[in-house]
Amino acid sequence: MTENDFKAACLLSELKPGQPRTIELDDRFVVLVLLDGEVFCIDDLCTHDGGTLGDGEVDDHCLVCPRHGAKFDMRTGAAVTMPATEATASHEVKIVDATVYIKINA
Amino acid sequence: MSTDLASQDVVGEINKYDFRTESTAVFKARKGIDAEIVNQISEMKNEPQWMREYRLKALEIFNSKPMPTWGGDISLDFQDIYYYLKPTNKQGRTWDEVPQEIKDTFDKLGIPEAEKKFLSGVKAQFESEVVYGSLKEDLAKQGVIFTDTDSALREHPDLLREYFGTIIPSTDNKFAALNSAVWSGGSFIYVPKGVKIDFPLQAYFRINAENMGQFERTLIIVDEGASIHYVEGCTAPMYSSESLHSAVVEIICKRGSRCRYTTIQNWANNIFNLVTKRAVAYGDATMEWVDGNLGSRLTMKYPAVYMMEPGARGEILSIAFASKGQHQDAGAKLVHAAPHTTGQIISKSISKGGGRSSYRGLVRVEKGAKKSRSKVVCDALILDSKSRSDTYPYIEILDQDVNVGHEASVSRIGEEQMFYLMSRGLSEAEAGTMIVNGFIEPLVKELPMEYAVEMNRLIQLQMEGSVG
Amino acid sequence: MTITATPAAFDAASFNQFLESRVEPTWLTKQRRTAWSAFQSMAWPDRHTEDWMRSDLRGFHLDRYKMPGTIEPSDEVCPRWLLEDVTTCGQVSTLDGRIVHEQLSPEIETLGVYFGSLEQACQAQSETVEKYLFKTIDRNVDRFSALQAATWSSGCFLHIPKNVSIEQPFHIHSGMTDGGTDVSHVLIVLEENASATVLFECSSAIPTADGFHCGGLEIVLKPGATLRFVKLQEWGDRVWHFAQERAVVDQDATIQWTLAAMGAKFVQVSQQVSLVGAHARSQVNGTMFTRDKQQMTYNTLQYHEAPHCKSDFLYKSALQDRSRTVWRGMIKVAPGADKTDGYQRNDNLLLSDQARADSIPGLEIKADDVRCTHGSTSGRVDEELIFYAQSRGFTRQEAVRMIVTGFFQQIFDRITIESVRKALGSAIARQVRQYD
Repeated sequence: MTENDFKAACLLSELKPGQPRTIELDDRFVVLVLLDGEVFCIDDLCTHDGGTLGDGEVDDHCLVCPRHGAKFDMRTGAAVTMPATEATASHEVKIVDATVYIKINA
Repeated sequence: MSTDLASQDVVGEINKYDFRTESTAVFKARKGIDAEIVNQISEMKNEPQWMREYRLKALEIFNSKPMPTWGGDISLDFQDIYYYLKPTNKQGRTWDEVPQEIKDTFDKLGIPEAEKKFLSGVKAQFESEVVYGSLKEDLAKQGVIFTDTDSALREHPDLLREYFGTIIPSTDNKFAALNSAVWSGGSFIYVPKGVKIDFPLQAYFRINAENMGQFERTLIIVDEGASIHYVEGCTAPMYSSESLHSAVVEIICKRGSRCRYTTIQNWANNIFNLVTKRAVAYGDATMEWVDGNLGSRLTMKYPAVYMMEPGARGEILSIAFASKGQHQDAGAKLVHAAPHTTGQIISKSISKGGGRSSYRGLVRVEKGAKKSRSKVVCDALILDSKSRSDTYPYIEILDQDVNVGHEASVSRIGEEQMFYLMSRGLSEAEAGTMIVNGFIEPLVKELPMEYAVEMNRLIQLQMEGSVG
Repeated sequence: MTITATPAAFDAASFNQFLESRVEPTWLTKQRRTAWSAFQSMAWPDRHTEDWMRSDLRGFHLDRYKMPGTIEPSDEVCPRWLLEDVTTCGQVSTLDGRIVHEQLSPEIETLGVYFGSLEQACQAQSETVEKYLFKTIDRNVDRFSALQAATWSSGCFLHIPKNVSIEQPFHIHSGMTDGGTDVSHVLIVLEENASATVLFECSSAIPTADGFHCGGLEIVLKPGATLRFVKLQEWGDRVWHFAQERAVVDQDATIQWTLAAMGAKFVQVSQQVSLVGAHARSQVNGTMFTRDKQQMTYNTLQYHEAPHCKSDFLYKSALQDRSRTVWRGMIKVAPGADKTDGYQRNDNLLLSDQARADSIPGLEIKADDVRCTHGSTSGRVDEELIFYAQSRGFTRQEAVRMIVTGFFQQIFDRITIESVRKALGSAIARQVRQYD
């Protein structure tokens, strides 16, 4: 793991299973979710209306946009339902010493 | 064209579209909407468990969503509306089997002639349920399914379930959620691969009882290489209390297919017409919406085409005519979600006598949708100083390799034009009508003949109202 | 640079200190206090309001910036591009909201013209300023405008009396140090048949500067007046720039408003021209040229309140890298505003795959005897043109600069001040990104 690419986002203990958490990292807003022991990270951006996703709910392995119901797969960022058709960016996550590190996928 | 329209004919024309029959509905739910009503509706229709759950979940979503803060003024008491009414116990197969009073209604709308000339099948909706239908045998032989959505749920459950709600999920907007909870009737069409239907399939429906809402749900699946033209037109008598029409239309155009959906809407002046219509077009498929909006107290309708694969094309032709007390907030949406897609929107709107006509639209080109082209032309005519015209176009470009253009103009009828026509013996009203007809000609020429005739007659009526 | 330590810079305590540090007429103090209450009671605008729906304010933190007047004076110099090749008759320059330079030709002064710090004008011309200050702009439209009305410092007041025509331009400059604050206000009033030219620019001490600018601009043109107004915005790369700009144009008056928006990290400007008397005319020439991750939003309005008026808005945006522009252009025509001639056009040139341009031209027409048209185009640069230029020995950067200049040519053609054309050309050249 190259130190330059991965940036510390938060402590693992700050994440509750199935509860999205929005983090600001280098001018970028991303959502973290702890699912089945793994942490996933996607942009806090719904590609349908450009609004936030972090205030949505987790349904299975998807984050559901609270405004029109578009679903994004937390593992890949892929848009799973209408009205979204485009994926939102997903970012690599590493956990070291109980700290969550994110590599922003430019 | 110098004959005057006799005033009796005008009155006769108005009366033709303004009548009601005594309702002999078999079952009428109480007013208002809640889980009990939704359960009742599902029960009456004998639906599978998944659909009942779908409806109940949609009701929750409807309750949780706020009213839109844009568009028209939707001053409705949701609890003061009937959401379900079943007119007869059996779905009529031939004209003879349909109750007389309902036949009278359809007589006045001129259905028998239409049936003779153009149709391959008619699904007519009266009070939320389909009472009359017939499917021509050759279509059935080709595997075309053309039935009402309730029947489709029973007879083609897997096919329906595969697509239902995938284009417009219940969460999409408040009125899609409402429809998803209380939908009844509407058309279900499946056209198999390679089958090209060369005459339009039609549907008529209308609202009759006081405070009756219409929540038809239409689902059209056009398989690869197939083609279809579907036409819906509706009229309703005048009422004193509010009435709500909130339909959902989902269309899937698979690779190489073609679908045109034509609507001439002429709701009475107390109707709120809030509709979600959306199509997805796959590779080399073409989707065309032809949308004519006259009447209603408020229409909010933005037929959309999502172009999902290269070669897909979306075209929307929209006309709105708002007279006194009417607000047409209509438009179109084009989403280019793949490269090499093309789209076109032509919108013509007219406002008169204090009416308000608004064009509201979206052209969006997603990142990666290279070499996409889209053009929007919106023209508006304001016929007098009391009326109002608005244009609210949204253009979102997320890729550079595209070509998108939009133009709009608002004006009145030119004085020179009027002068010229009147100097040739036309009255002011006739001249106005002729100019307006010329203005909307691009849409009218796309309509099946009898609709073009109905459209011209309706325009004439609207324009007549401006004299005196 | 030492900064006075305050726990939270824009809080009640600092605001009171701010008021105490100023020598102002009672009416002004009262106006500030009312605005401050409004500021405290409002929330920041959010995505539910149409004008802010496409603006991402999440990275903005007011507590990173200091109240006007609390930053130590600095002798840093900010660039003033619009001064090149032109002789001005007056100059007002501020840095972090403090006047650093003020000058007016004596001949102009004898004509009864007032041009100087707005702060001073509130004392010296109290009645006149009170008559116009915050009467054109709405102080309560959102939290930013309330903040601006409460805490503006310095700024500029230009007042030209009846029938006085000034040929040479006036120059106004707002500067900021890195991390500085500029909450300023410019008030321009031209009496009947007066005419003038104003060059207004904003810049930071270093190109990568951070900062917070919350500005207000009010222009009042009485019948028969003519104003040519030029604004060049070249704030540093990390500046947050909010502004409300309004012009009211009366009968037979004319405004020509040219603007170039190039700098800042986040821009949200509301620009309005109201045509309130018959035969008023306005021409707006807007250029937006963005790069990196800039977010630029311009919400514009042409409001025809009187008949026989003509408005003409042309906005051209060129976008590089991952930048984003949002342009809203509304033409409103009030009932009775017959023979309105309204025109609006927005062209967008996308120079990269990651850029995004949103264009929302709008019309709300309540009169029938009008002619209103608008248009919007979006497209890319023809790669062949770049290839052609490169094959002739130009670098890609030079080729892009030529093409972008060509794209903006229509704007250049509408500018009637030679030095401004040159300055705009240089500004565009500076904004073209580095290509390796």
